[in-house]
Amino acid sequence: MITASTTKGALDKPYEGASIDQPDQTPRTLLRLLGYMVGGDQRAKFALGVVTRIVALLGLTALPFITGQAMNVVINPDGIEEELTRWVLSGVVAGIIYMLFSFLSDRTFARMATNGLFKLQTNLFSNIQTLSMGFFHKNPPGDLSSNVTNDAEVVSLFYTSAVSQLLRAVFQILMIFIVMVVINWKLTIVALVTVPFLLLSIYVISRISGPAFTKLQENLGEVSGFQEETLSGHKVIISKRRQEWAKEDHEAQVADVYRVGSRAFFASLMQFPLTQTLNIFQSVFVMVVGTIMVINGQTTLGVVMSFSGYAALLSSPLAQIANLITNALNAGAGGKRVFNIIDEEPTIKDAPDAEEYEFKGGHLQFIDVDFSYIPGRKILRSNTFEVKPGESIGICGPTGAGKSTLINILTRYYEIDSGTILIDGQDLTKLTTESLRKQIGVVLQEAFLFTDTVMNNLKYAREGATDEDAIVAAKKANAHDFIMELPQGYDTMLTERGASLSQGQRQMITIARAMVADPKMMILDEATSNVDTRTEKLIQDGMRKLMENKTSFSIAHRLATIRDSNRIMVLNGGEIVEYAPHDELMANKGFYYALYMSQFKGKAPAGMGAGTVEFVST
Amino acid sequence: MVKSFGRIFTIVKQHRFRLVLSQVMMFIAALATVGYSTLIAPLVNEGMGANNVDAALQIGIWMLVLAVIMGICMAIAASQAVYFSQGTAYVVRKYLYDKIQAYSFENYDHLSTGNLMVRLNADVVNVQNAMQYAIMLGSFAPFMLLATVILAIINTPDLLWVLLVVVVVVLLLMWWLIPAIFKAYKIRQHQLDGLNNTLQENLTGISVVKAFVREKYEIEKFSQNADAIRTPAYDAAWRVAFLSPLLTAVGQLSIQLAMWAGGSQIMTGTDLTIGQLSTFTSYMSLIIVPLALMSIVVPLILRGDVSAERIFEAYDAEPTVLDKPDIKPMDPEEIQGRIAFENVSFAFRRRDGELDPPALKNINLTIEPGQKVGILGATGAGKSALINLIPRFYDVTDGRITLDGIDVRDFPQDNLQQIIGIALQEAVLFQGDLRFNLKYGDPQVDDDVMFEAAKAADSYGFIMNLPEKWDAPVSRRGYNFSGGQRQRISINRALTAQPKVIILDDSTSALDASTEGRVQNAIPEFMHGATTIYVAQRISAVIDLDHIYLLENGEIIAQGSHEELLLSSSLYQEIYESQLGGGVIAGLELEEVS
Repeated sequence: MITASTTKGALDKPYEGASIDQPDQTPRTLLRLLGYMVGGDQRAKFALGVVTRIVALLGLTALPFITGQAMNVVINPDGIEEELTRWVLSGVVAGIIYMLFSFLSDRTFARMATNGLFKLQTNLFSNIQTLSMGFFHKNPPGDLSSNVTNDAEVVSLFYTSAVSQLLRAVFQILMIFIVMVVINWKLTIVALVTVPFLLLSIYVISRISGPAFTKLQENLGEVSGFQEETLSGHKVIISKRRQEWAKEDHEAQVADVYRVGSRAFFASLMQFPLTQTLNIFQSVFVMVVGTIMVINGQTTLGVVMSFSGYAALLSSPLAQIANLITNALNAGAGGKRVFNIIDEEPTIKDAPDAEEYEFKGGHLQFIDVDFSYIPGRKILRSNTFEVKPGESIGICGPTGAGKSTLINILTRYYEIDSGTILIDGQDLTKLTTESLRKQIGVVLQEAFLFTDTVMNNLKYAREGATDEDAIVAAKKANAHDFIMELPQGYDTMLTERGASLSQGQRQMITIARAMVADPKMMILDEATSNVDTRTEKLIQDGMRKLMENKTSFSIAHRLATIRDSNRIMVLNGGEIVEYAPHDELMANKGFYYALYMSQFKGKAPAGMGAGTVEFVST
Repeated sequence: MVKSFGRIFTIVKQHRFRLVLSQVMMFIAALATVGYSTLIAPLVNEGMGANNVDAALQIGIWMLVLAVIMGICMAIAASQAVYFSQGTAYVVRKYLYDKIQAYSFENYDHLSTGNLMVRLNADVVNVQNAMQYAIMLGSFAPFMLLATVILAIINTPDLLWVLLVVVVVVLLLMWWLIPAIFKAYKIRQHQLDGLNNTLQENLTGISVVKAFVREKYEIEKFSQNADAIRTPAYDAAWRVAFLSPLLTAVGQLSIQLAMWAGGSQIMTGTDLTIGQLSTFTSYMSLIIVPLALMSIVVPLILRGDVSAERIFEAYDAEPTVLDKPDIKPMDPEEIQGRIAFENVSFAFRRRDGELDPPALKNINLTIEPGQKVGILGATGAGKSALINLIPRFYDVTDGRITLDGIDVRDFPQDNLQQIIGIALQEAVLFQGDLRFNLKYGDPQVDDDVMFEAAKAADSYGFIMNLPEKWDAPVSRRGYNFSGGQRQRISINRALTAQPKVIILDDSTSALDASTEGRVQNAIPEFMHGATTIYVAQRISAVIDLDHIYLLENGEIIAQGSHEELLLSSSLYQEIYESQLGGGVIAGLELEEVS
């Protein structure tokens, strides 16, 4: 049996291509990530954060020394209580300084972290908006958004904890080390004897757990992909009785997660007992050697006390560094993917000398236009045709004939391979896409509405559209009546499940929306194919008003929908095979006639023969 | 209080030994840790105080031995905690997913995919984390705390109050910080969902965004959403970061307090020794760590409990369509394929158990073996509900459905669904390759059957044009194929399993009439005269079938052949006129003219 995972490699998403196994890029990615957090207008904050952190750590570093001094006072037979009080008070002050400045510093870093993430997210999203349709074709919404979400989460962790903690750990280690050397360098060596072992253990553990965690993430992604697919495809699984297959495949994947997860967590959790044990070793070494040195008169009990205090303060930042490095490496991998999208360039860009499109009636010429989605597999072949201003064109043809493609290139969602498209005499590629698309209204088969109120969905079509514009359009599109019957009228929220709107009602809203934009040309792509007959009449009435006196294209399976068009363009295999009004095409008894008759499947009214022309659908 | 979390332990039976072992090890580790700190006083007193190097070394060695014991015990406990918690995650994932596979359609209506996904993933991870830390530290921390207090009572009763002050202060600080962190996390998570939805919606509707040139508006909307996360994220982040300096500071301040209280006692000449004082300062560090750990573990367990409850909600849902006990499967080869609805009514059941208004009312119909039947109606007329009852995706609310005279509820579901094949409206494919998808209903079938089915479903041509042909990769849900291709693959898949009755639920809607006609003509030939049921909105999809049922508002309002319906039903005429009408007359007129 072929399991779901066998072909995974072949289907890797394109933008993941530059993947994790190029370690040389990670430092650059991390620097770039840091730039978002500490660069630009965040520099002052960064300086503040660093200064407060240093002050805080000065306080912390002073503490064990103060405790040691207090101890010396206590054991000194001549010690006076005021002196003890003085040391204790200065200890309290140092403690409060540490707490207060840590508070300031942590808040500053947290602020920088959230700002940095915000900048990164908005940058990412802004760039996605500029990309061409080809990108979205290659990266389906589900994959793209889950990738973006996961990567942002890893980077967020890096910003909120890794950066400030890493800084804190490094400063803390440095300062404590300096102070220890100054106080007593011999004891410093004793206190640091365990550090190489700690570092070694960190290194070994991160070498095991790091890749294991990466693998775990991959496995978890794989499992949840499989779960998502099989749960949303439950109808197929139930109807084909393949529950056992799903269970077996799932179990195998979950067992992998168990194996990898156990290894990852086992390795990383070993750090805890190791660090604890080494800590105690460190204290014992300091105390025992210190005791011997005190006995030999080489140092005081106070110094030994200070040192065991310092040793304790050292261990936690050292232990942290391991986690932080893993975290940073993860962020590097996530960041790389984020930057891959941020750096992605739109394939269709306005020419540097692009002009605004000037509407002069909507005259359209296609000259020798070739197009392919995938190089070498032509969808449209040398198409040449003309549409007169104000003409309504119906487009039909078998499945896969290139009907929607024609529209995709007219709106410049995709760029043509060769040939020229002239619109009102201007070359399509020399126009700004913005000015072009504002003049072309599109109503698609899938009635996509946003999770927002009806009113906002209508006004979406044009920046600055007023409530009146929306209501006027809704009335024209025959949508006003049912909108008024909704619980909150125009203010009704359209939820993901589409409230209680029927397919037809949703479609009427999209038509009203297109009217709000008041475009000069219209494209309707199978706008009524999912709608029942009665609703279709209302919709078509709305569409007729929408298309009045406008150059318009209407694509349809149901030929009755386009019958009244001025001319009908019949596509087959990427070529225009016929282009004439309905009556003429019927009289010609050519391809269109066959297509038309095939709808009756031999049940055509008497006097009409069945079509005989064969055509290839792809 | 943590009932659901506790119930998790009852379903994870395999790893019980690990649980016991880890607790014993943690107990020993805590003993060793406490033992180590009791040795500090003798080290200072007998070593330094008595100028005795040998004693100091000896005590030092004992300390190291205890440290090693502690380390080993902790390591064993940690490994058991890892294996136990990972094992729990494995068991819960598997059991829950297996249970979901037993679900009926109705269960899915009540628990959406998104809902179930959260339970299978985020909720399982929450339980796993709670489990891991509960095992590792749940018993260690309270025990350390207790042992330290007891030791302080025995060894340094004069300084006990300092210890209690510290405990109270730490608990107060945690009580102040931790709930705020969790609240901020919750808000952040909620806002993050909003942000992700905005992103998801934007990507899904990207063509609309581009058509209306509203990229700037979308960026603005996204920015607002992203901005809303900043405050809760900040609220959580600084508190989390501040936790560690805060605890360190409290530890240091309490040492100062101990120095002051203990030091002045020593200096005024009470019987407190230096060794006791240094022991006591080490109690401070002994006590702060478990307190901090507990403050982290307790919320984790609470969160794990909430997740466990959600997991059990899905786990406890029972399939609504069940096989009767002791029923025997029928040999599919002996099935004729006569289907009869007798006074069938059906209503969807809501999650609270109440019935929705009926979707089907008093349906009576008989489909003869080998007949080609069409079910025509608008969206929401009840077409899908009707055909979903035949293979028992749902059970009838009233009346009965028979296959060859036997109530469909007297068939085992496996058997019934082997007899009845269905190609669904939404042509979902699975990741894998084409062969895997096409043989999904019957993996053992010969390639030849698949080829013939492909020819009947009109998918043979485009599949042969693919470079990898039958081994062509299919991405998740089959997004690398066009809608029309997916529909034909889906029909191909249904045919390859060679059912005795085949239902096509609006599964040719993306095909042009001619391709659809070819598929419809080829199916009976491939199926050797099986009963075929077509569901459609398009009149051209049903026009040449033997019998057409016209459905409206859950009732059959007309039936008959195309010709009969044209005469008898005004609604049918209306549909015909709208979908195929005027042009016919125009064509006829032209015919006459030419």
